[in-house]
Amino acid sequence: MTSPGPAVWRDILRRRVVTIAALLAVWAVGIEARLVLLQVVRHGELMARAERQQMQTQPLPPKRGDILDRHGRILATSVDTDSIVAVPKEISDAKDVVQRLCGALGDCTPKDQQNLVERLSQPRAFAYVRRQVPQDQAQRVAALSLDGIGSVKESKRFYPNRELAAHLLGWVGLDNKGLDGLESAYDAQIRGKAGTVLVHTDARRHAFSRFERPPTSGSSVELTIDEYLQHIAERELHAGVLENRAAGGSAIIMNPHTGEILAMANEPTFNPNAFRDFDDAERRNRAVQDLYEPGSTFKVVTVSAALEEKVMSPETMIDTNPGRIQVAPGRIVKENENHNYGVLSLSDVIVKSSNVGAIKIGFKLGTDRLSRFVSLFGFGHPVSPDFPGESPGIVWSPSKWTDGALASVSMGYQVGVTPLQIVTAVSSVANGGEYVEPRAIRAVYRNGVRYAVTPKVVRRTISPDTAALMTSIMEGVVDADHGTAHAAKIPGYTIAGKTGTASKLVNGHYSHSEYNASFVGFLPSRSPAVAIVVVIDSPHGPNRYFGGTVAAPIFKRIAEPTLRYLGVGPTINPPAPIFAARHDETASPASDTPANDPVVSLIADGEPGTLPDLRGMSAREAVRALVKLGLNARVSGDGVVVSQEPAPGMPLEPGALCRLTLERSPRRSKRAGPP
Amino acid sequence: MEPFEYAIKKDVRNNPIVREVDEARQREMWKSVGIAGFLVAVLLFSAWQHFELLRHGYQIEQLQRDRAAEEETTRRLRLEIETLKSPKRIEALAIDQLHLVAPSRDEAIVIERVVPTDPPAKSVVARR
Repeated sequence: MTSPGPAVWRDILRRRVVTIAALLAVWAVGIEARLVLLQVVRHGELMARAERQQMQTQPLPPKRGDILDRHGRILATSVDTDSIVAVPKEISDAKDVVQRLCGALGDCTPKDQQNLVERLSQPRAFAYVRRQVPQDQAQRVAALSLDGIGSVKESKRFYPNRELAAHLLGWVGLDNKGLDGLESAYDAQIRGKAGTVLVHTDARRHAFSRFERPPTSGSSVELTIDEYLQHIAERELHAGVLENRAAGGSAIIMNPHTGEILAMANEPTFNPNAFRDFDDAERRNRAVQDLYEPGSTFKVVTVSAALEEKVMSPETMIDTNPGRIQVAPGRIVKENENHNYGVLSLSDVIVKSSNVGAIKIGFKLGTDRLSRFVSLFGFGHPVSPDFPGESPGIVWSPSKWTDGALASVSMGYQVGVTPLQIVTAVSSVANGGEYVEPRAIRAVYRNGVRYAVTPKVVRRTISPDTAALMTSIMEGVVDADHGTAHAAKIPGYTIAGKTGTASKLVNGHYSHSEYNASFVGFLPSRSPAVAIVVVIDSPHGPNRYFGGTVAAPIFKRIAEPTLRYLGVGPTINPPAPIFAARHDETASPASDTPANDPVVSLIADGEPGTLPDLRGMSAREAVRALVKLGLNARVSGDGVVVSQEPAPGMPLEPGALCRLTLERSPRRSKRAGPP
Repeated sequence: MEPFEYAIKKDVRNNPIVREVDEARQREMWKSVGIAGFLVAVLLFSAWQHFELLRHGYQIEQLQRDRAAEEETTRRLRLEIETLKSPKRIEALAIDQLHLVAPSRDEAIVIERVVPTDPPAKSVVARR
């Protein structure tokens, strides 16, 4: 047998190579064709599918800004909570799933269960099981690992102080939108703007890269409210409403110079963390939404107008005999409790709260002038943009004022005002005649920058002289023997105020059993730190229904701790200032003592580990020295330290109490030597 | 007579002949090898970069989730602190448990009224 020659072999090789090359070419063409199909022909469709599968665009909800009090304490903040969600299409046995879910949630009613079964039985892609559940409930549900049940994070608003300033703060709905109060008024700023995030995921849906358009966090808002003063106002208002068996009440503490609302309390109140559990009456901000006829507190406006227009002076005598006056045909107005005050000075009209006197002043003023001052004092229109739903009040058009209306307005009837309007009006008397816009926002924090809100003086209501006259007249309401507000008196402090007792309109008639009792005042009257209004709705308690017996004591109970908290010292016979020599100067007595004999000694450090001699030091210096040594101080008396217990030189015991006795006439220290 | 066939087998001695090295081809070859090696290195580096990117992507994602969780924990703790510091709660504890009473008018002495000054209208503040 002969082997094929080289030519034959070459032929065979060539054929095989061609065959393989052809196969490869077909394979390559096939691949290329497929590539062209995928990359060119179906490019758009497949790109869209890939994007759907690999990239997820998720909304990034913004963080709602916090609401803080004036010292930066949190009044409202947002925290992420879990919401239980379901994919009903993936649930085969809804009844069983709901039973297990309710077992984990632990608080389902039969009605909830039924609703849930109905919702999860529908062939939908998404359904909420329960939104914003507590952490323990979410963990129990997650532990079940149910098919078609999961959770998503949602931001929830929390109010850590519960009822504190609830009416002012308002509340936020499930969709993170402010629904009432400041949460609603400043929703645009507090809410922020949502962002988006584009997430790339792998085949296992694990994200490995993201492109963010970050959300803009909401601005934090710093209120003028002081958490502690708000607590005081709410506590005392609550006690006052209970004591007087009243339907409700309001109290406002305001800085009369800046218009800052330091506290705004309402009763009844509610917990904004569970706002759905309360009705509208409990959630209503009475201090800015409820109108009432102010009664005698409005006489401040009438008399201020008379003084400003120089129609009368404080000494002008007004005959109020015989204790009643006919203001219109068939309409007679009497003094309270059928009193007859006789002839009164203008000051005494306020002090004794004479209706007849106020009406006569009103008649003397006339409609034009009185209505102008009613408007100047801010009645008849909203006074601040910070309070959504604020009532503008009711003030008749002057053209409609009859003699009867003029008489009514003069003594605080036939006008509807809010407690905020009254305290703002009286604040303008307190600060020397400037009407300052009341405000609840002190500053806004945006991107780490604090933007302060400055006080806004809207207009001048009365001159400083008139304001000073009104202040001294209003002091008589509290101080004078025949004043109507003795119960508001705080020893050591001058207080200017005015009581109000106004009959309520019930079914179109003035009631003889339902009244609004109020008191508005400011203190210390000559240098006011705060103006306070207290309005009590329908008191039926042992103190009857008068502003002087119902509202004035509440005013006092609010004012006392407020003064203590603000560090406002007594203004009547105030203690003389304490003089103490500075450490870094040679003693140079300011008194009539010899120049080489200092009144007070300098602190002299004793032996290490022993108590120093504190005698002759001011209370402040002594307390400071003790605190530095880690000791507690108990101070009695005022003036300079005259004795101390333990005595100087005694061994120090950390945390021990040192009693200091102060006296106003400083004794010469035995240890003090010539400078 | 048959023709005499013979063949003279010439002994070709080419041992001394040495193929001449083609320097140009040699350089070409090394150049090609170098380029190929470089391309492979670039390819490997690129692949390494890609996988490192992926690995870091996962890490960053995890760290961002951790940071968000920590921030949320901080917010929760702050909320808890504020709840515990509520004046109503503190007052209840002071009165009911510690039997404290509010100081009377005579027991409180105003040593010095400290009125904190307001910050300027626009000021940069530390992030909370």
